[in-house]
Amino acid sequence: MARAFGAALAWLGLAGAATAQTATLPASIGRGEAVLRAAGGCTCHTNYPGEGDDAPELAGGRGLETPFGTFYSTNITPHRKTGIGTWSDADFLRAMTEGRAPDRSHYFPVFPYPAFSNMTRRDLLDLKAYLFSLTPVERENLPPDALPPFRLRAAVAGWKLLNFRPGSFEADAAQSPAWNRGAYLVNGPAHCGECHTPRTLSGGLDRSRWLAGSAEGPEGELAANITPDRRTGIGEWSATDLAWYLETGIKPDGDDTQGLMAEVIEHGYAHVDAADRRAIAEYLLSLPPIEHEMKAPDAGK
Amino acid sequence: MAPMRSALSMSALTFVLVLGGGAPALAAEDAVHIKYRQKVMTGVGADMGAISDILKNGLPYTAAIALHADRLGDSAALIPTAFSKNVSTGATDAKPEIWQKADEFERAIQALEDAADDLEEAADDEEPAAIAKAFKTLGKACGGCHDTFRKPKEESYKNQ
Ligand code: HEC
Ligand code: HEC
Repeated sequence: MARAFGAALAWLGLAGAATAQTATLPASIGRGEAVLRAAGGCTCHTNYPGEGDDAPELAGGRGLETPFGTFYSTNITPHRKTGIGTWSDADFLRAMTEGRAPDRSHYFPVFPYPAFSNMTRRDLLDLKAYLFSLTPVERENLPPDALPPFRLRAAVAGWKLLNFRPGSFEADAAQSPAWNRGAYLVNGPAHCGECHTPRTLSGGLDRSRWLAGSAEGPEGELAANITPDRRTGIGEWSATDLAWYLETGIKPDGDDTQGLMAEVIEHGYAHVDAADRRAIAEYLLSLPPIEHEMKAPDAGK
Repeated sequence: MAPMRSALSMSALTFVLVLGGGAPALAAEDAVHIKYRQKVMTGVGADMGAISDILKNGLPYTAAIALHADRLGDSAALIPTAFSKNVSTGATDAKPEIWQKADEFERAIQALEDAADDLEEAADDEEPAAIAKAFKTLGKACGGCHDTFRKPKEESYKNQ
């Protein structure tokens, strides 16, 4: 057991003593690119719907519809005026794990920092190194078309008190290294829960139905129940089915994938190590099944 | 006068019959077209799922991949007929764009046929790397059409 735990830590590059060691390593652009892929390619920051395949990568401007209004993703290229080019490591860590901008204002929770707050410092700094290696794109950020009270950034502080607990992923010594790796990816960089978990009235993630499907995901998309419930979830899928899906987007019945999921696979999960896709599958299929039938928000009307 | 009157009421009756009985008949006729086209698409999905089963589980059936790919090419040839009737309401995920952008729809069919041909060739040559690449392109041919011409999950008849 102790050995498995040690191995899990080594694999994850995680926690306590491990952080002290890894923090002194220089940030790696190559590893950072792998982190970006594990995060689904951060495609919300590329305006594919508005500008097609020629959209400038990671330069923001993509409208994300939510029940709380439309928010526009930001420019995360290293442009010094319109992007994140002047950010320090501390600025980047604060944004990703606390949801606060360098001027300390709060980010709208459409930015999945609740998930990213589970990421290791090393993964985050490698990701920053990779982003800073890209060509800066000049593009101003757009203000949100949010509904009250979310129009006010200050209101987000209240939202956070209610809904946000900064995470710090902890490995479970009773589980295998692969399971722990899967748990880290799903709840951290890959942020599956941000799209696949239904939201409460105040817009927080409903922890009692974690990953059980959301009829009002980003861009109003319906994201399936991905707990292993046999009838309403993916309980009939094998680990191989799921790993293959995260690589190709083809479901066990031969159907393909639509919308944001197709994007995060194509620009993200398809490019991570095969072992990581299997780890995600092992972890997801081990979760308790939740019965939650998905219907469109205006179904039956 | 009397014959005239009955002629009038006869035509009124015909009118009522055509309108009253005709509308449901039309809807039923639409449903038949929708069912047929969805069967063609389900067949496409079945071959795609079968190829996936071979590849993801490492089954030693490379020659079968070529046959499935050949069938996908044949299915592509069925798509124009399957979508010849302009119906995008009812229990269907077909979008009206299919008939508004007919050229683009045709190109999407062609892309499916080309990708299926490439996969068949790669499987005939028993080249694993080429098979993997052609399979990926084939998957993109599905999305290339569905992105524009198939309703998204939140509008799908399956989720209402
Ligand atoms: C940006 C939002 C987003 C993220 C992040 C995301 N998904 Fe999805 N996912 C979706 C949407 C939307 C769909 C519905 C698309 C479809 O079924 O064609 C979907 C569909 C799926 C399906 C298909 C389920 C079914 O029954 O058909 C699986 C499995 C899945 N996602 C797993 C995952 C996993 C695992 C992760 C994290 C590694 C993840 N998703 C991250 C939005 C997302
Ligand atoms: C030229 C356009 C086109 C191409 C190419 C295409 N599809 Fe489709 N597909 C559609 C349309 C349109 C629908 C919605 C049909 C309806 O509901 O009436 C659909 C529906 C489906 C369905 C659901 C059928 C049902 O019963 O509701 C499946 C499964 C499917 N497609 C699989 C695939 C796969 C797999 C591929 C690639 C190998 C593919 N399709 C390629 C246009 C296309």
